[in-house]
Amino acid sequence: MKRTFLPIRSWIGVVVLTAPIWAPAADAAGQQQENPQIVRFRLADTFLRSGQFDQAIGLLEDLYAEAPRNDAFYEKLKEAYENVKRYEEAAALVKARLVDTRSAALLSDLAHIRYLQGNEKDAHATWQEAVETAPTDPNTYRVVYRSLLGVRQFERAVLLLEQARSATGQAALFRVELAYLCSISGLHEKAAEEYLALLKENDQHLNFVRSRLGSFLEEEEALASSLAVVQDAVRTDPLYRAWRELLGWLYIEAEDFGNALGEYRAVDGLESGQGRMLFEFARTAADAGAWNKASEAYREVLARYPDAPAAPRTLAAFGAMHMRWAAEIGERTFDETGDRVNAPHYDEVLAAYRTFLQQYPNHELYPDVLHRIGRLQQDVFLDTGSAESIFRQVVSIFPNTRAADQAAFDLAGIAILHGQLDDARLRFNRLIERLRTGDLVEQARFKLAGIHMFAGEFDAAQSLLDIIDTHTSTDVSNDAIALKILLLENRGPDSLDMPLRRYASALLAREQRRPLAALDSADALLSMYPGHALADEARFLRGEILLAAGRGQEAYETFAEIPLMYPASFLADRALFEAAGILSRESGKREEAIAAYRRLLSEYPGSLFAGKARDQIRRLRGDGV
Amino acid sequence: MKQPAFRSSISGKTMSLCSIRFLFLATVLSLATLSARAQDILIPMDIRQSNHLKAYGIVFWLLEQGETVDWLLNYRGGSFLASGFNGLEQELQVREVQFERIGTGASARIVAEVESEEHNTAIVRLETAPNIAVYAPEQTLPWDDAVLLALEYAEVTYDILYDDKILEGHLREYDWLHLHHEDFTGQYGKFLQYRNIPWYIEQQRETEQMAARYGFRKASHLKLEVARTIKEYVGQGGFLFAMCSGTDTYDLALAAHRTDIVPSEYDGDPVDPDALSRLDFDMTLAFENFTPVFHPAEYEHANIDAGPPPPALRNQAIDYFTLFEFSAKWDPVPTMLTQNHVATLKGFIGQTTNFRKAFVKPSVVVLAEAPNRDEVKYLHGNFGEGTFTFYAGHDPEDYQHYVGDPPTDLDLHKNSPGYRLILNNILFPAAKKKKQKT
Repeated sequence: MKRTFLPIRSWIGVVVLTAPIWAPAADAAGQQQENPQIVRFRLADTFLRSGQFDQAIGLLEDLYAEAPRNDAFYEKLKEAYENVKRYEEAAALVKARLVDTRSAALLSDLAHIRYLQGNEKDAHATWQEAVETAPTDPNTYRVVYRSLLGVRQFERAVLLLEQARSATGQAALFRVELAYLCSISGLHEKAAEEYLALLKENDQHLNFVRSRLGSFLEEEEALASSLAVVQDAVRTDPLYRAWRELLGWLYIEAEDFGNALGEYRAVDGLESGQGRMLFEFARTAADAGAWNKASEAYREVLARYPDAPAAPRTLAAFGAMHMRWAAEIGERTFDETGDRVNAPHYDEVLAAYRTFLQQYPNHELYPDVLHRIGRLQQDVFLDTGSAESIFRQVVSIFPNTRAADQAAFDLAGIAILHGQLDDARLRFNRLIERLRTGDLVEQARFKLAGIHMFAGEFDAAQSLLDIIDTHTSTDVSNDAIALKILLLENRGPDSLDMPLRRYASALLAREQRRPLAALDSADALLSMYPGHALADEARFLRGEILLAAGRGQEAYETFAEIPLMYPASFLADRALFEAAGILSRESGKREEAIAAYRRLLSEYPGSLFAGKARDQIRRLRGDGV
Repeated sequence: MKQPAFRSSISGKTMSLCSIRFLFLATVLSLATLSARAQDILIPMDIRQSNHLKAYGIVFWLLEQGETVDWLLNYRGGSFLASGFNGLEQELQVREVQFERIGTGASARIVAEVESEEHNTAIVRLETAPNIAVYAPEQTLPWDDAVLLALEYAEVTYDILYDDKILEGHLREYDWLHLHHEDFTGQYGKFLQYRNIPWYIEQQRETEQMAARYGFRKASHLKLEVARTIKEYVGQGGFLFAMCSGTDTYDLALAAHRTDIVPSEYDGDPVDPDALSRLDFDMTLAFENFTPVFHPAEYEHANIDAGPPPPALRNQAIDYFTLFEFSAKWDPVPTMLTQNHVATLKGFIGQTTNFRKAFVKPSVVVLAEAPNRDEVKYLHGNFGEGTFTFYAGHDPEDYQHYVGDPPTDLDLHKNSPGYRLILNNILFPAAKKKKQKT
């Protein structure tokens, strides 16, 4: 009688192990639990699990002798022999069965044992013999493939599965298995080829393929190989969307945003995506700091699909991206003499936002974009009049929006800028009363405290700062604490707190963008109260104003004299650090800069700036640490 | 192997104390050089040191510059004394290392005090920067390596070697070899739960390929040969330092040289049923009479490891270990290895956390132990012409380092006593043990 092990064993191994035991028992219904063979079999299994191999083998040999056709007894006995490396006995067991049936499964068992014995040549010959038992049946290959996997013969398994395809004439056979095998064997090109074929069969598998491939792309070789294969595939069939999207994704993984853009552009065209794919690409590229390519993609969306649903958000995102770009490169809109200079990124931001307002007057982002223009005018182009007008528009046309709240806050700031402190105070108070809580409220309180200080109302300022101080989770807390300490430590010497008033005037003038007036106030304080506790702070403020005004040399001198004049000042180390920074930014003063940083390390070894100074010395020395 | 030159322990400074007349003469004669070397630099290693770890790097840097450094064992936490020269102070400042300028007279007084019989202190002269090799794969694995972190942070130069270089005989070019979270049994760290994760797959594939390249059927055979080569290196005078699972798996692999202790989940064939009786403890360096753990999913290689502390003590606030104190003049090597500014150190867990004392060979010197637990944290021994030092635990500043955790930022642990023990080992090969007092 010819028995067929192959289909059953290849489907569900667990069932095979138990089913034959239950089969004879079924003849005696109701007595299954009492079947002594089952009890002995379970006992043998327990022995095996507890490492009592001799007892287990004894029981299993008896059981197998009683029922030599029982697959479960066979499997367990073979496993037991293998567990104790009694390979000859295991092989004899298999060979005895092979007398009746030369099935692929039994031959694979034998090959497996021969491999464990170290007889690799015989093992491979036996696996080959297993294949030859039914060379056109895919299940044959599945059985042998699993046997090969059991001894980690991955590359042989790859060859076997390829052989299966040609022998069965099914080119798509074992697609996923082969791809995974190739990946874990380091055969990344082959893996990519399989995944491409899988995608060709069904483009819905793109996410599956990305997830499978992605886990191996940390290996540089895997990424390069996969890229090369997918590039070739795309060349042969440039109109197949899934391949191109896969290629675009691979380019992004390789941080090749130029080529990635090309692929996303093509995908967008192939799916008539109205710029959706290009927009996604642009966002990804911008997040990665690939500004040029992101900008190119945004522009393309806007030029090619001006009426697409994504166009307004694209325009807003384009402006925001240029804003980040400008900030990253430190783009300036005015030179040291105050003349307007070319600022292409900021100009681009302004142009994009203006276009947005013009083209999408009813879009939900309109108030926000309008407010952003106001901030740009105020902070970057220093056009307070224009900013004020825009903020007023936002507040009046779009009340009860987040943009309106921000604009109200900014209008109060502009009032300070104009010296209208009462107006500013009123505006901040209104905002606090209306909103009650939130970051903007905390910022408004801090600004109010500043106004009180500018007005010489130091006690009122302190009371407000006390409130902020209790909310240490807010961003303004640190600034509030610093200001509070300033007020606490620098009152006197007279009842009018004149030095502090002078210092507050300098701060106000700086905030009002009147650097000369700020310098005058600081200088006046220094000449009238040279020994006051605020002198070091006034001098430091002076240095900051000069630096912001582009008067580097004067700023350097101011900072450099602080540690000489006030060696015990809490600002001494910071001033030295600033002075060294000015030197290090100036070409040809590398050695002086290093010397200044070293002075900081020598004189203020416990300084918070010591670590940064060390880093700067190493950078200037070119240590590469 | 390069052997560092050794100068007599009776330094010029101690000789100057022999007599007042000699001192006077020496002072006169050295007047001409005083301008060039007016001061010595003391690098204190007690609690006043701002950056203990970088201090080791500075000493290493001085040795690389051809300078000599006196290691003042047990003096202010194991301080260093070097001749001042142009640029040294600046380098110390740049590396945030606290130092003290001392005149030659004060320097001589310190030397005399350290060499005095009244104190358990001694001087070891460090003369040559050792060549350091770290045993690590090229592949980036998702856990940190405390020694690589320490060497990087201290700015100590080293080379990375792995199985191929070791089998090709490159170890002889180095004085010091470090092993960290390695598995010499060929069980890939027993990370069976990660078997489908790319880093595990890659690690296994590369090891198998390496084994095949050198004619071994299994990873365990390759690793055994590497372990044997390292042992041979130690026997010929090399210095071996191992941490975490690089300690017990090393001895386990050597002990199992004539059997198979690797479950089929890792090498495709089962454990030898007679493995226990075939273990050969004559082959091991530090441990004996231990039992391997055969369960493939149990994250443990052998019962050498005592495992994490009992639940009541598994708390980084109360888990600690203590360093033994040795006679600096009689036992300079263990003294060097235990130099620290504290005697009690924070405990830390690893795949190998502490060694069970019962399995430590009698010839091995215990350097640190977990109190009241019969567990050893840090040990040292000799084999042939060389020595080995095993330090249990994974990362002294990360109580329990998990796979995928970010590496420890040593800038936040500049004074780490646990990391100091690692760095003691890199300076130890720079000295040569002087003749024992009898």
